[in-house]
Amino acid sequence: MEESPISPSRRRFFLSILLAGIGAMLAAVALWPLWRYLSPPAGSGKEEKMAMARNLVPVGGAHFFQFNGHPAVLLQNSPGSFLAFSAVCTHLGCIIQWQPEKGEFLCPCHAGRFSSTGAVLAGPPPKPLESIPVTLSGDQVLVG
Amino acid sequence: MGVKTKIVDFLDVRLGIRDILEQNLTKYLLPRNINVWYTLGAVLLTLFAIQFATGILLLIYYIPNTADAFASVQEIMNEVPFGWLIRTVHAVGANIIVLALLLHMLSVLFMASYKRPRELTWVAGFLILLLSLGMCLTGYLLPWSQLSFWATTVATESSSEIPLVGDAVVRFLRGGAMVGQPTLGRFFALHVMGFPLVFGPLVLFHLFCVRRAGVSRPPFGEDYRPSEPLPVFRHEEHPEGIPFFPNYMAKDAAVIAFFLALLFAIVFFAPGLFFPPAAFDPADPFVTPAGIKPEWYFLWAYQTLKVFPSEFLGLAVQGGMVTFLLFLPFIDRFRERRPAKRPVFVTCYVLGILLFVGLSIWGHYS
Repeated sequence: MEESPISPSRRRFFLSILLAGIGAMLAAVALWPLWRYLSPPAGSGKEEKMAMARNLVPVGGAHFFQFNGHPAVLLQNSPGSFLAFSAVCTHLGCIIQWQPEKGEFLCPCHAGRFSSTGAVLAGPPPKPLESIPVTLSGDQVLVG
Repeated sequence: MGVKTKIVDFLDVRLGIRDILEQNLTKYLLPRNINVWYTLGAVLLTLFAIQFATGILLLIYYIPNTADAFASVQEIMNEVPFGWLIRTVHAVGANIIVLALLLHMLSVLFMASYKRPRELTWVAGFLILLLSLGMCLTGYLLPWSQLSFWATTVATESSSEIPLVGDAVVRFLRGGAMVGQPTLGRFFALHVMGFPLVFGPLVLFHLFCVRRAGVSRPPFGEDYRPSEPLPVFRHEEHPEGIPFFPNYMAKDAAVIAFFLALLFAIVFFAPGLFFPPAAFDPADPFVTPAGIKPEWYFLWAYQTLKVFPSEFLGLAVQGGMVTFLLFLPFIDRFRERRPAKRPVFVTCYVLGILLFVGLSIWGHYS
């Protein structure tokens, strides 16, 4: 029985597909370790909880700290009334500053202003500061 | 019209890309009897590209100070995802590069391709070899292990035998009396910036010389005759030859694949081959471990220093050998390239290889 000949263009197409497939496979084998190598380490997945001494924050004052990898701030607006926020401005990610004389936050990058409850007072920030839960336990403040 | 044709058309109208591709690929003809040894240049380019890429990746996590260097390398090896792969490829790759460089040099010597009009190609290539060894030496210190510390101490100390200025040279190399933070700083700067800055243009110049003069015809076959020295420049053409693409490039790809297989076989199946136990302990300037030896490609030099009655004599012989090889095309000016008609050279060549291997084995077991 005589076999039908395969045209050179079909042979070339088959070889091109084969080479492209092998090339794609090798690229994936090389790129996957590269992607993993450059990826930031994954967190534990659990929400962090922090305990701080109540006397760390004076009445009308603020205390900045690292929380879940981001700067955060703890306020004591009135005796025994604590609030915590992410200290990252919701506009473009700069870190806000506490202005005790005015009782509000100022973002030094673009003059965004936030109240002591995190609400936007003025400037370009599109939304309030992200709030973090706070509970009191004896002389400790539990954040998170 | 396909996307590929459209892209090529776009570039062709603006840059004449079709002409460039033709002149350098399909219409670039190489000698018909070209052999596998000619592919080592492409192998080396590939391996250097891998070293460059893995080196940049290692810089992301490596910390170049004596307090943190060892821990940062341990973190790369044990905690960063695939850090072990990047670092092992970099370390093993350096050894494979030296092997390929030596084979490349030996094949060029055997086929006498260094002769006129390719003297500059040889000189640039030999300087690339020396720079590569310099990068190996400076890279060796960076993990700040016991092996790094003491191998660098011994390597820099050998310069103290240079008459009159020896001690000053050692101090200059180390940046102080002993190997320490100044040494790590200057070796790091040389390894990642100083040497590569010189290395890149040298490689480009080497490639330019190869392309400009044309590939030399292998000096084999009954019809081979040495060419007459030309008074003016002429690109060596091979009108009956094979095209660079696809014929020769397929051969290049096959040998590159072989070397990559060798590299990854060691990385995956014998990753500790180039890491003696002292490589796993942090540097301790107060405790010298027993039996510190240089890497295999420096063993011949290490043993030479021990063989001669004075270290200065050993250094002088090494320096003399390196200088002789660097200027070989200007010393050996005979036109003959066929090995069978160069018995004195071939005898020296074989004896030289035996001496290198013999001294290296002796150095390893001494």
